[in-house]
Amino acid sequence: MIDNKTFIVVGLVLAIIIGVTAVFLASGDPDGLESAALYVQDEKTLTGLSPEDGDPEAVGTGTFEYEAPLPDYSMGEEGGQTGEIIALIVGIVLMFLLGYGISKGITSIKS
Amino acid sequence: MTSITFIQLPKFSEKITDQEHKVTLIFNNVLLISGEYMHIPDAFMPITQGAIYWIIALIFIGLALRWAKDEMSEDKIPLVAVLAAGVFAIQAFNLPVSMGTSGHLVGGALVAIVLGSPYAAVFVLTLVLIVQGVVFGDGGITTMGANIINMGVIGGFVGFYSYQGINRMIGNIYISSGIAAWLACLIPAIACAFEMTIAGTFPLVPGLVAMSTYHAIIGIIEAIITAVVVYLIHTSRPDLMTTDTKETVIS
Repeated sequence: MIDNKTFIVVGLVLAIIIGVTAVFLASGDPDGLESAALYVQDEKTLTGLSPEDGDPEAVGTGTFEYEAPLPDYSMGEEGGQTGEIIALIVGIVLMFLLGYGISKGITSIKS
Repeated sequence: MTSITFIQLPKFSEKITDQEHKVTLIFNNVLLISGEYMHIPDAFMPITQGAIYWIIALIFIGLALRWAKDEMSEDKIPLVAVLAAGVFAIQAFNLPVSMGTSGHLVGGALVAIVLGSPYAAVFVLTLVLIVQGVVFGDGGITTMGANIINMGVIGGFVGFYSYQGINRMIGNIYISSGIAAWLACLIPAIACAFEMTIAGTFPLVPGLVAMSTYHAIIGIIEAIITAVVVYLIHTSRPDLMTTDTKETVIS
């Protein structure tokens, strides 16, 4: 048994380690949905390799478009890996604060 | 990189290539260029279809908020917050799964199992998807409802109830968590293939074949990580976990 504070610290540190490691080790291959998109367009065979730089981004007609402040978990091209690390840490901390804040808010309503 | 050019597309499938993007594909009004997406992006679905999923998602979000208000006790707050941060982190980690494909974990089953309710998964996954879509451009805004339904609602319900059923049969929370997580990865992917077919983005059979093949493999990693995290939380803070199926769990 560890106390709440230790649990939070260990959990957050683990999350940040996973996030930072992802910047260096995460696979550049397209994910399941993207691979399926490539497959249905005959750009890859079911079990074959994906085309180089094959991470698809989509543009459609008559669909909505939105520009995110930290696109693709990065601070843009010039941000490089440092930008990606910062973006992921920002995301992890933001998630924790939101999770904590909203849960706290909801549980305090009922009392 | 993400300054997307809006291109008026012809109705038929066509492939174009430019210097900037090695892979540029058009299928049924959808153009793919290089980038990094993990969840259904805006361009994969017409706005009206996205709106229908949003309405269904909002109903479940309402139910999830009611769960949080009625069931979530104050001592669960650290766990909810750490899970939100953790799910965000593991979703950012694309693991190679061979076949030129990578997979990222979803975490819906994990959250539902650990917090003891499918609505917990809806609650946490909705938070994660909002931040990913709004801040990081991962997953669309109009398609967020569909992503919430797939990973939060379907993932959460499949994960939670299959965990309960399997655990009742075999009485091992780790193996049950693993199998439940595998199902909670595969079934939302199949649902997604159907949504993509309705949207006109994927043809039905190839879409189903590809989505289920890739996610059956991604699900194995999801299963292992889920079992490990359930073990870690169960060992470090058994009091925080709702692992029971109304029976005593040997800890």
